[in-house]
Amino acid sequence: MSSKTMVQSMNEALYSMMAEDDDIILLGEDIGRDGGVFRVTDGLQAKYGENRVIDTPLNELGIVGMAIGMAMYGLKPIAEIQFQDFIFPAFDQIVNQMAKIRYRTGNQFQVPMVIRTPYGGGVKGGLYHSQSGESYFVHTAGLRVVTPSNPYDAKGLLVSSVRSGDPVIFLEPKRLYRSIKMEVPDSLYQIELGKARLLKEGRSISVITYGSMVPIVENVISKNNIDADILDLRTLLPMDLDAILKSVKKTGRVIIVHEAPRTLGLGAEISALISERAIEYLLSPIMRVTGPDIPFPYVNEEIYIPDEKRILAAINRAINY
Amino acid sequence: MSPLSNISNDQLIEAYRNAVRSRTLDIKIVNSQRQGIIGFHVPSAGQEIIQVALGMLARREDIIFGYYRDLALLIQRGIPLDKIIDQLLGNKEDMQKGRQMPDHFSFKDYNFSSIQSPVGAHLPLAVGAAYMLKYKGREGIVIANFGDGATSTSDFHAAMNFAGVFNLKILFLCENNGWAISLPTEKQTKGEIYRKGEAYGIMGKRIDGNDLLSSINGITEAMNYIRDGKGPYILEAVTYRIGPHSTSDDTKKYRVDEITDGSEKDPIRRLENLLLSMGILDEGKISQIKADAKREMDEIVEERRKIGFPDRSTMFDDLYAETLWIQDEERRDML
Repeated sequence: MSSKTMVQSMNEALYSMMAEDDDIILLGEDIGRDGGVFRVTDGLQAKYGENRVIDTPLNELGIVGMAIGMAMYGLKPIAEIQFQDFIFPAFDQIVNQMAKIRYRTGNQFQVPMVIRTPYGGGVKGGLYHSQSGESYFVHTAGLRVVTPSNPYDAKGLLVSSVRSGDPVIFLEPKRLYRSIKMEVPDSLYQIELGKARLLKEGRSISVITYGSMVPIVENVISKNNIDADILDLRTLLPMDLDAILKSVKKTGRVIIVHEAPRTLGLGAEISALISERAIEYLLSPIMRVTGPDIPFPYVNEEIYIPDEKRILAAINRAINY
Repeated sequence: MSPLSNISNDQLIEAYRNAVRSRTLDIKIVNSQRQGIIGFHVPSAGQEIIQVALGMLARREDIIFGYYRDLALLIQRGIPLDKIIDQLLGNKEDMQKGRQMPDHFSFKDYNFSSIQSPVGAHLPLAVGAAYMLKYKGREGIVIANFGDGATSTSDFHAAMNFAGVFNLKILFLCENNGWAISLPTEKQTKGEIYRKGEAYGIMGKRIDGNDLLSSINGITEAMNYIRDGKGPYILEAVTYRIGPHSTSDDTKKYRVDEITDGSEKDPIRRLENLLLSMGILDEGKISQIKADAKREMDEIVEERRKIGFPDRSTMFDDLYAETLWIQDEERRDML
């Protein structure tokens, strides 16, 4: 046990899993010699060689397609897409191949693979290094979508993703890569996919969030002494419906906080699920605090990302409704 | 004596028989589609010769990534006819549980991968499979088939580039049948398909895919090169799509058919003439093979038609290693 950042805990997870299982292969742009632009794979090529930590040509559909072919034939590839913003050339491979191969072949083939990719803003990355595209993937049956919010979860969820036997989109909140340090076990451990974590218990409101927004939500709640449940979803597909309903039925008030744009963001789905199954418990309208429906602006990123003021305003509106 | 030292007369007769069986089945499926028995079909008519040649030379351990117009390849590969028909019908015995359109096969036990509709999208997957062979030190090569239209896709170029960089054992086999639905090859590309590997350091050659001996020679040369570890190889097999793109297509809108079923330029007729001139087959034997194929296809479609469709609840299966609450709930609510 020692204090680690998310980058360190994921690096450690990859290092240890590769030591245990020769079928695990990493591939992506600049992940080998360079150790990845965020250094998540630092040192792994030196340890495991360039046949297992593969520096690929610059082509995302090639990376994802190649990983799918590896996974169909017995390997367990972990592909890195340098920024989630660059994943779209591989979208056909993800939606039409990776997600559908088990289904379309009647389970003759499986695709046990993970695509790791940094997402979200806050690093002055402008339009093309800041996007939060989780909705694109959550809309596709056959995928699992996972996003950690701290170094401990990042390691456990990554291990579970690799071992799930399914294709997983693993969204890494890049703003949190090095901003949080916490105690993380040195050995491998798993965190069950599909289970949310109740970060804080309260009675007056449920704040549902995940990934990059978790620290700011925690900060707002504690700083303002709000008697709130904070639910960190951790897995976005499938969402932990039971945990959501349990919290909402207790508090009767709910806000959803995510960085992705509002229209058809996860908040829309969460809101619909609650409305269908627990509307009689609600004491106030479900409210969303999200990024706006515009491209991610370079200069005004602080305005784009939900901040303390907007989150607190929504909480107060719900509580005082 | 066989015109090829490494191919026996019996193998040539078998290749001819399988080409005829494939053509006969093709016609049977089209007729079945007209009668509403089978929903859809992409005919392989005209491309049988290059496909049987490939099937003759591919080894058991070789992994084939075919495309949706490879019926003769499946037959030559030894995939049982009932399994092929079950997929076309989408019946209860279909290994894919009726989930895919006809001609989108997958036969893992025969090292025949999975076919998708989006053109060319299997090519990067073939590269991944070839990487696995290299990484695991396994025997065999990967064979990826595709049409001329696929050479315009990003997937094709990504796959060629990756295969070259990693020096993989992979044969890219373009069945250039002259048409991508309504678009002729000269409007698909200004370049020569067999030379498209040059930019990626990949060897290439064009062969007459409608001639069995040219096909066997070309594939043998390419496979030797690949098996020797010299790198990937692209073969352009020039052939012709005798039929429409699919049962939903009408060629009269955009072309005058250059080769028709049974005409002198029909590749099966060309093989027939060769085997006749070599004295390997006679007219009586040829008539027998055709009559046998007709009876076989009529009987098997009739037999497999009697099998029912998959249980409806199976449509919610096989999304994940374990079922999720989402599909469980939808299954319960909808059925």
